[in-house]
Amino acid sequence: MTVDSTAGLSRAEAEVAARSARRPPRRRPGIRGREAAAGWLFTAPVIVLIVLFLVIPILMAIWVSLSNWTGIGSPFSSNVKFVGTRNYRFLLTQDGLSRQNLMQSLRNNFYYVLFVVPLQTALALFLAVIVNRRRLAGRGFFRTAFYFPSVTSSVAIVIVFLFVFGGSGVVNALISKLGATGPDWFSQQAGIFHLGLDKIGVHKAPGVLANHAFLGQSWWEWLSGPSLAMLVLIILAVWTTAGTFMLMFLAALQGISADVEEAAVVDGATSWQRFWRVTLPMLRPTLFLVLTLGLISTWQTFDAQFILGATNPTVVTPAYLSYQTSFNNQQWGQGAAISFILFFIIIVLAAFQRWVLRDRDEAREKRMIRKQRRAAAAGRSS
Amino acid sequence: MSQTVEPTTATTPATPPSRTRRPYKVGESRLFVKVATYLALILAATVYIFPFLIEIGTAFKTDADATANPLNPIPHTWTTAAFHQLAQVDFPLWFANSAIVAICVTAGRVFFDSLAGYALARMRFRGRSALFSALVAVLAVPGVVLLIPKFLVLNQLHMYDTYSGMIIPLIGDAAGVFIMKQFFESIPLSVEEAAHIDGAGTFRTFWSVVLPMARPSLITLTILSFQGSWNELAHFIVSRQNPRLNTLTSGVATLVSGQLGKGNQYPLKLAAALLMTIPVAVLFFVFQRYIMRSSEGAVKE
Amino acid sequence: MNIRHSRIAVAALAAGLIAVTAACSSGGGFSSNSTPSSGTTGSGTLKVLIGSSGAAETAAVKAAAAAFTKQSGVKVEVTAAQNLTQQISQGMAANTPPDVFYLDTSSFQNYAKTGALYAYGDKVSNPNDFFPALKTAFTYNNHFYCAPKDWSTLGLVVNTDDWAKAGLSAADVPTTWDQLAAVAKKLTTGGRVGLTLDPTHSGIDEFLLQNGGTLISDDKKSAAFGSQQNIDALTYVKKLATEGSMKYPSALSAGWNGEAFGKNKAAMTIVGNWIDGAMKSDYPSVKYKVYELPAGPTGTKATNSFTNCWAIPAKSASQANAVKLVDFLTSVDQQMAFAKAFGVMPSRQSAKDQWTSAFGNDAAFLSQAANAHPDLALAGGAQAVSDYDAKLAQLATTDPKTILSSVQKNITAVIAQNG
Repeated sequence: MTVDSTAGLSRAEAEVAARSARRPPRRRPGIRGREAAAGWLFTAPVIVLIVLFLVIPILMAIWVSLSNWTGIGSPFSSNVKFVGTRNYRFLLTQDGLSRQNLMQSLRNNFYYVLFVVPLQTALALFLAVIVNRRRLAGRGFFRTAFYFPSVTSSVAIVIVFLFVFGGSGVVNALISKLGATGPDWFSQQAGIFHLGLDKIGVHKAPGVLANHAFLGQSWWEWLSGPSLAMLVLIILAVWTTAGTFMLMFLAALQGISADVEEAAVVDGATSWQRFWRVTLPMLRPTLFLVLTLGLISTWQTFDAQFILGATNPTVVTPAYLSYQTSFNNQQWGQGAAISFILFFIIIVLAAFQRWVLRDRDEAREKRMIRKQRRAAAAGRSS
Repeated sequence: MSQTVEPTTATTPATPPSRTRRPYKVGESRLFVKVATYLALILAATVYIFPFLIEIGTAFKTDADATANPLNPIPHTWTTAAFHQLAQVDFPLWFANSAIVAICVTAGRVFFDSLAGYALARMRFRGRSALFSALVAVLAVPGVVLLIPKFLVLNQLHMYDTYSGMIIPLIGDAAGVFIMKQFFESIPLSVEEAAHIDGAGTFRTFWSVVLPMARPSLITLTILSFQGSWNELAHFIVSRQNPRLNTLTSGVATLVSGQLGKGNQYPLKLAAALLMTIPVAVLFFVFQRYIMRSSEGAVKE
Repeated sequence: MNIRHSRIAVAALAAGLIAVTAACSSGGGFSSNSTPSSGTTGSGTLKVLIGSSGAAETAAVKAAAAAFTKQSGVKVEVTAAQNLTQQISQGMAANTPPDVFYLDTSSFQNYAKTGALYAYGDKVSNPNDFFPALKTAFTYNNHFYCAPKDWSTLGLVVNTDDWAKAGLSAADVPTTWDQLAAVAKKLTTGGRVGLTLDPTHSGIDEFLLQNGGTLISDDKKSAAFGSQQNIDALTYVKKLATEGSMKYPSALSAGWNGEAFGKNKAAMTIVGNWIDGAMKSDYPSVKYKVYELPAGPTGTKATNSFTNCWAIPAKSASQANAVKLVDFLTSVDQQMAFAKAFGVMPSRQSAKDQWTSAFGNDAAFLSQAANAHPDLALAGGAQAVSDYDAKLAQLATTDPKTILSSVQKNITAVIAQNG
């Protein structure tokens, strides 16, 4: 992954600060040596920590994923053998349970990400924009209410959700008030798309989807959607994380120069136009940060699965599968291999997302700069 | 959603400092828009607050009451049985461990991340952009995939089952560096130049001039770090096994999935959840006041 | 903090990094020699890790360990694990496993296969006194590895009030499948079902066995899940479900079948003797009786059984003392003390009569000892077994033949992988 420091991430923000700050100018050459030493010194602690607890572990895990280590003694002892891509083959090419479980976990996690990332981002932005209003009564109260789940431990939240969505829990009590019977949320395995189709009369897979398989799962299975149990975890994630991201959006909103906004007002833009054309583009770096963090964290979801014990295969994620395969089934090589497959997926997706956003970013940016120029011109003339 | 976003941006698209007061457009504070906004807010707040009310109420219920009346947060008969049961486990110890870990991790992160973020934003040295690229790559490394090897490394370092093994690996945090770098880049360079002219060294400039300006970002980072390490579960599963080193997360998680996990026992579980939330809540409100003050006062210098 | 200080910190961190590299390279040469058959004779404190069912069990094991220390002079440190499987895993990987620990039958298969365990089974006194099903469970490649700690079997647990209210008498206690289906139907009323089952292989396999089916051969070299007997057995269970006289605990808003039974959402359940503790503490007013499981259509009696052994790792430095401790812990007296403290069944046949007279209400659990089969366990089979469990959870809406043939396929693949 190649990213240079001046790329899109900081561009819009830099633009905001452009009036007062330029990029670091090349200073007098004499100062360069001292600055280089200081630069490395300042970054050294973080580098050392990252090498120790990230790079070395990754190298070790690569070895384990290519070995037949069974978790007895050191993975570098002489009786641990190199087995090449054997662990990966079981997971990716060989028809069997290992592959089936991995593919199911990927499917589960895919739907989890597909729902959580857009929902949490939208909710966070929505809450941030509302709560940012200066003349809002009880602003602090609302801000606190929305942010509070974020500081609460995931363990506590999962416990609350276990009760809220439990067989005799809050949600089912509400549903029965409406005269219906709630499902047994946490043991439900059918996907919601399948359930939906079932409601409109499609009870069985169309032949095309049922008979064609991809990586050991039929297309019908791939298109199941999240199970109800996973849906609960999706709601949990959105509910919990929106506050954190709301805070990030808030910080960014407060950083937006009033002049820019004002210029847009003078420009005669309606509030809705202003949100889309001015506020949102200025939030782009934050939006990118939120989406990236969301994407990366949702592909790693683990805590809820650990607490639930994941007896329902439709909530198992690759991260939990990797833990379970290693620590509980003692198949350390396969567990490490699952980690790397997950690693690969996240890297590819993050790069892809970056690429997509970058293109659009440039277009928006141009528009924004035009706006600013016009605004500046208007400002001068008034 | 679009209906409700509109009015909010209409009145306050950003929070400009009050001295640059500007005229509001006519008709912007239409009543129905206001009502819709507040209704949406109140609905959202209910969804956010009600689960906590349920949590508090149910903790004081009997098992049967919890199962029979899940919707009513007020117990039929008040009982503290769940808390008595919890008193038999090492709850205070777990709390102390969580606090030690979270405070150390937060302090370490805030300091080291600002140092690195500042260097990456402001200093020119060979390999800086490579370093930053590496950092972004690190940001993309899923922490969970490192559970297994982290355990192996801790073990080789003889840090397994120690506080240092629980704390130090969590301090290395690329995301924080990222946040701080972003912020430092937005600070006008003139400030530092003035400090340099005054003869302040690099660290001094950073420590006494730039860092104080970074308060909003430092607060964000503090909150994120504290929350992250307080909520951390996976790392404490693999970095220790001694029950004396349990944090609240690992302790309560095993309480729920372990021996007491058989059967519903909702009051017990929710009491555990409540107790582990109270200290965070207290800390949160302390922080919260700080956030409000700083966001109202020090948005723009 | 000024630059000089941070420089020192950096130097310390760098030194740490060098230390890691050194540790990693020196850690490379762990000896992998197999344990001498006589066992290691270190005399340090014995570390014991237990997966405790609760405070009572922890206290009882600690008391037993103290008694052993008094008698032998060997110090013992008992720790109750929070997540036993994972902690043993970590101990093994770190080369610091406890000297003695609880080990369940499926983890046993994994560790025996990888040579992590000390095969001391025949070194404890009178090893043939252990119930045969238990010896089988802890035998791998013809070596009896570790002494069974205690065990449980499944019995038919009946709510006596419901029973009487439905007009049933002692003569109606089901001894055949047909009778079981009939009483389950009779006991099903508005808010209550006749029978609830643990929805996993542990709670359902006994039907397959009662129908004369086999699952995995004793030598773990072949599987026969897809047999007609097994399909018929699972079809029978499914029929109970579709008729509405059997429901899984989750459908009864209960976490496990004992809870559904305790709350009287089911009048009968098939469960092990661990239900006693829950009934005593949570549902003291519910009266119940335990019976032997009914026989299958051909008269075959069978029940599933569950056990842990006192495992000693191959890496332990104090194997001789560890064996002495296990010998002490599995003595008849000690087993009876454990039975009294936390309601388990002794693993030694010579304790049977003493136990039966002390725990009359539970007699049916132990009287089935001769029909007991070890719970499903296969090295590397955890995935296959949990997949089986996930499918059983959907039994009401799935074809039994589909379930079993896919389980057969998965288990066969594991066996092939094991070589």
